[in-house]
Amino acid sequence: MHPLVFISGATSLGLLFALQEWIHSRLWNSHLSLSLLMKAWGAQYFIWGVLCWVGWWTLRSHIYNADWKKLLWFFLPLSIFVSIFEEAIWVQLFPQLPMGKPPMPFLQRLSFQLDAELVDSLVIFWSAFFLFRSIGYYLRFREKERIAAQLQSQLVHAQMRALRMQLNPHFLFNTMNSISSLMRTDVPAADLMLEQLSRLLRITLHRGDAQFIPLSDEMEFIEMYLAMQDRRFSGRVRQQMSVDPSVHDALVPSMILQPIVENAYAHGLSRLSTNGLLSIEANSQGPELRLTVTNNGVGILPATPKNGNGVGLSNVRERLLMHYGGEHSFSMSQIDGDRVQIVMTLPLRFAESPIEQTTGYGA
Amino acid sequence: MIQAVLADDEVLARQKLRQLLREIPEIEIVGEGATAAETIDVVRATKPDLLFLDVRMPDMDGFDVVGELSTPGTQLPCIIFTTAYDRYALRAFEIHAVDYLLKPFTLERFRSATQRAMEQIKQIKQNPQAGLPKNSNGAQYTTRIVFKSKGRILFLPVSEICWIGAEENYVRICTQSETHLLRETMTHLEEKLDPNTFLRVHRSSIVNLQYVKEVRPEIDGEYGVHLLNGQKIAMSRGYRSRIKNWLER
Repeated sequence: MHPLVFISGATSLGLLFALQEWIHSRLWNSHLSLSLLMKAWGAQYFIWGVLCWVGWWTLRSHIYNADWKKLLWFFLPLSIFVSIFEEAIWVQLFPQLPMGKPPMPFLQRLSFQLDAELVDSLVIFWSAFFLFRSIGYYLRFREKERIAAQLQSQLVHAQMRALRMQLNPHFLFNTMNSISSLMRTDVPAADLMLEQLSRLLRITLHRGDAQFIPLSDEMEFIEMYLAMQDRRFSGRVRQQMSVDPSVHDALVPSMILQPIVENAYAHGLSRLSTNGLLSIEANSQGPELRLTVTNNGVGILPATPKNGNGVGLSNVRERLLMHYGGEHSFSMSQIDGDRVQIVMTLPLRFAESPIEQTTGYGA
Repeated sequence: MIQAVLADDEVLARQKLRQLLREIPEIEIVGEGATAAETIDVVRATKPDLLFLDVRMPDMDGFDVVGELSTPGTQLPCIIFTTAYDRYALRAFEIHAVDYLLKPFTLERFRSATQRAMEQIKQIKQNPQAGLPKNSNGAQYTTRIVFKSKGRILFLPVSEICWIGAEENYVRICTQSETHLLRETMTHLEEKLDPNTFLRVHRSSIVNLQYVKEVRPEIDGEYGVHLLNGQKIAMSRGYRSRIKNWLER
């Protein structure tokens, strides 16, 4: 803290005391000189201000950490010494005081003042001491809180990353396996799949660590993903997508749809030999963005750890909870016997800064 | 016969290009370069029509090669970039590269790139100073659009666009086989396109007249534009006079 804080604070306190004594004396009809009172009180507290600043400057960490022993063996003697020291300076500055007494030598005046004010001085010293100590506690508390908040956000980020990574690898490896198998039978198809996989990875890399992306980017990714799934399921599944143009720019958590679509394939569509249908819809409903994924197949299967059902979906739920708290909904329901519908509603939000433009025109 | 030079620092990458070029008999490989310096020497010695150029090479990058080669008086070959990096696409487009292939690429993609290159080379050989149609400001109408779509870079010739539809802050560009969503406005896009080929028929659609089969009145008294691929696009009253003018020419 700046020395001015101590000195000006203490001095104004002193001036207030002076004013108080002056008013007091007026009430009792004795007339003390206001200027002398101001000088005397002001000087006394000015000295205390300087002493407090020096104490803060040099002994701060000792004040924060002092235990009982230190209080007894260091600060108690110090308090007496500082009080006497302060009085000595003050007495030296005001030889005309105390008033109404014959002139006295320095030591006599000092002993007179100490007699009257040593307890007051000690109180001032210890008030300052405990004030500093509580400031110390407060600062430490604030620091702890800040670190805790930082840790919390780091943790959430790490969890997010982990969850996102969890979604990718087995898809990656399955695809590589498909490529490996195609390499023996159909080289152009293997080539195509490799190219599509690279495109998917490029899109993912481009997003980097962005937690939220425009829906149009997410849908682009889903389209690519569906194109690859389409190849694996060779046209057995009809895909329908309808995105309301007004929500192209709506922000959604990155990779929020892919696990749902993956789930639809893994537990529904892959069990059908013909007439699979997957539909994805996105539209706005008032202040909310509504995303619907519907697939036919075999209805909702009971979740068992063995078939891995629900891992991807519980990730989605967890991420939605972390991002939106109570401001979202997620529901999975069975409609018309064998169709499964997942409906998510999220707060409808848009990017604040304009979205990067990468279109060029020319010859 | 079109003569081509391959430039890539990786042996396997050059080998892949050689294998793919075997499928395209019109193109003959006249040289290869493993470094930028080597490539510059080979190109100066052989004067090819076409250069397959990697962006990242050990000594200099592909753009430095182009810079070195573009000295006045010499004809720069048509360039197809082949690279694993997508961030140089706009730069490649600006120096009029024919195409920008992201590794790994398929034969199909490679074929479409070489097809374009061959057309361009043919044009240059027939008419070295071919001009392009200009718009009212005197600037040229765009003949190609570059954008990223679905993890790819596209140098899309506007002649491949069938129609364009508005979707709020985006436009959907539809070709024969695919659709792409671009963050762009209809008005801006309309200004860039040659009005002799592209006609705005509705507040939210522009059609390429080359793909229009017919314009038919519908039951409700409105007109509809029918494309060669069977798609139907609504036409609004306010824009009908435009297509009339065009039909009467």
